[in-house]
Amino acid sequence: MLDEVSAFLFHEARLLDTRRWHDWLKLFAEGGMYWAPLTFDQPDPINHASLFYEDALLREVRAQRLEEKRAWSQQPVTQAARIVGNIMLLPGQDGQIVVTSTFHMLEWRRHDQRMLGGQYTHHLKREAAGLRIALKRVDLINREDVQDTLETFL
Amino acid sequence: MDVRVTDGIAGLVEPDRVHRSVYADPAIFDLEMERIFGRAWIYVGHESQVPNPGDYHQALIGRQSVFMVRAPEGGVHVLFNRCAHKGAKLVAFPDGNVGKFIRCPFHGWNFKCDGSLHSVPVREGYQGTRFDPGDPEFSVRRVPRQASYRGFVFASLAADGPDLESFLGGIKTSLDNFCDRAPEGEVEVAGGVFRVWQHSNWKIFFENLNDTSHPMVTHESSVNAARARYKAMNGEAKMPFKLLIIEGNGEPYEFWDKLEMVAYDHGHSYMGAIFVPPTDPVSLAHIETLKAAYGEARTQEILNIQRHNSIIYPSCSPHTSFQQLRVIRPIAVDRTMVEIYTFRLKGAPEALFQRAITYANVVNSPSSNVMPDDIEVYARCQQGLETEGGEWVSLHRDAGRDRPIAGGFVANGLSELPMRNQFRAWAQYMAVP
Repeated sequence: MLDEVSAFLFHEARLLDTRRWHDWLKLFAEGGMYWAPLTFDQPDPINHASLFYEDALLREVRAQRLEEKRAWSQQPVTQAARIVGNIMLLPGQDGQIVVTSTFHMLEWRRHDQRMLGGQYTHHLKREAAGLRIALKRVDLINREDVQDTLETFL
Repeated sequence: MDVRVTDGIAGLVEPDRVHRSVYADPAIFDLEMERIFGRAWIYVGHESQVPNPGDYHQALIGRQSVFMVRAPEGGVHVLFNRCAHKGAKLVAFPDGNVGKFIRCPFHGWNFKCDGSLHSVPVREGYQGTRFDPGDPEFSVRRVPRQASYRGFVFASLAADGPDLESFLGGIKTSLDNFCDRAPEGEVEVAGGVFRVWQHSNWKIFFENLNDTSHPMVTHESSVNAARARYKAMNGEAKMPFKLLIIEGNGEPYEFWDKLEMVAYDHGHSYMGAIFVPPTDPVSLAHIETLKAAYGEARTQEILNIQRHNSIIYPSCSPHTSFQQLRVIRPIAVDRTMVEIYTFRLKGAPEALFQRAITYANVVNSPSSNVMPDDIEVYARCQQGLETEGGEWVSLHRDAGRDRPIAGGFVANGLSELPMRNQFRAWAQYMAVP
């Protein structure tokens, strides 16, 4: 199981690193959410602002905008390389697999290279087509700091 | 460029154009810190951010680190974030609680929440010295002036000048309408704060806040993406809120030109919006709570005031209909920090606050699909203005056609009146040594 889940996380990271947004979107289960909390102790994404809180519709808008010809802030496009490690399975509920991992994400656009990092928590569902994401939660270590824009998915 | 500074500031601002050095010259930025941020009323925070005794909130007034703190007696005091002993910064977090006293982390001097010295360790050592606990030199310095308007706390580093209400002038109505939209007549900060870097001069952002001829160009990427997603939802009659607030930037020039642009003295302005009676359940439920609190007629009066961004120059910008407040902090000539706060309207349905959170996430988060194109073009302006490719920045659209009103001017929606108005105030502040 750990091998299967690890392979899934590496595959996901690869899709994002290579800007294959639409293939990445397909990894989500129906109703799946993508959430990056804004604070260290944020209770929920409904009554508090988040760095990201996106359903399928908002994820599709982001994916599409990143490929628009006149996305001025994507001239040139953002490049990224992720390392995902320290993968651990946690007890899941309702048949879901919960897995935490640590990621380092090196990101570059024009003159600026920056390092982002933190924890991923994936809630995965087993579907006929394979593992699918019910929730991808990203806890950036510097989430309470002043941010430069976060244009791509983490 | 320094030549111009010594020549005098007056030559940098003309009624319909400004010299590039006002954005690019670090010497001018230094002067702004003194002459504008050292004088104007600067937004510190909202009283609701410090509800309990000892609660504090940090802010920047120009280059000065200050914090407002709630005293046990109930009042709010705005103090410099500097110990009267060795100078250490007293509070560390953006928001926190000092406890009963403000205690310096270095040698344990204790101050009351009004800044006055409470105690120092081993007091005997000061006997027979010039140390005097009654001398303000040994207390945390208070800002020269502080005042609050409907819970919005401002401070001025100048002992003299217009009082807060005269300073706000006509833009007061935006803060009034912000609060009036709450059935209880009060608002409170809630749901966290976004902080975002801009790699550009602070004035570029202020000009953009009431710039109606940029959305369809700058935001083409997010407008296209939102429209395409809506099209793909074929069958859905109404565009979902989270797409609507992205797609709205794609309105044509005619739409924007019909809006009213209103500018007041001291650099303030707002961009009117057109009241369209809402049909969505969240707005309807909100209106019901307003009617219950204020009655039919007053409710209509409150809703008839519809505004996009208001500008309270030079420190903040409320967006009343989606309960946002952006706070603008110049850090360097080419670096600006923007804080985005969401407010809860007291007594309004919780769904209205949750919608404001959605608005904040979609439009004002560092991950917004709308904002990166703004931040990119601001940075490109900064980079272009640092070159010798031209000396002037144009403010010509509808120049000379601003119509005077009490305490300001009014113009058509596409007019660059707000930018000319900001520089009118800028020149007034900067001209006085």
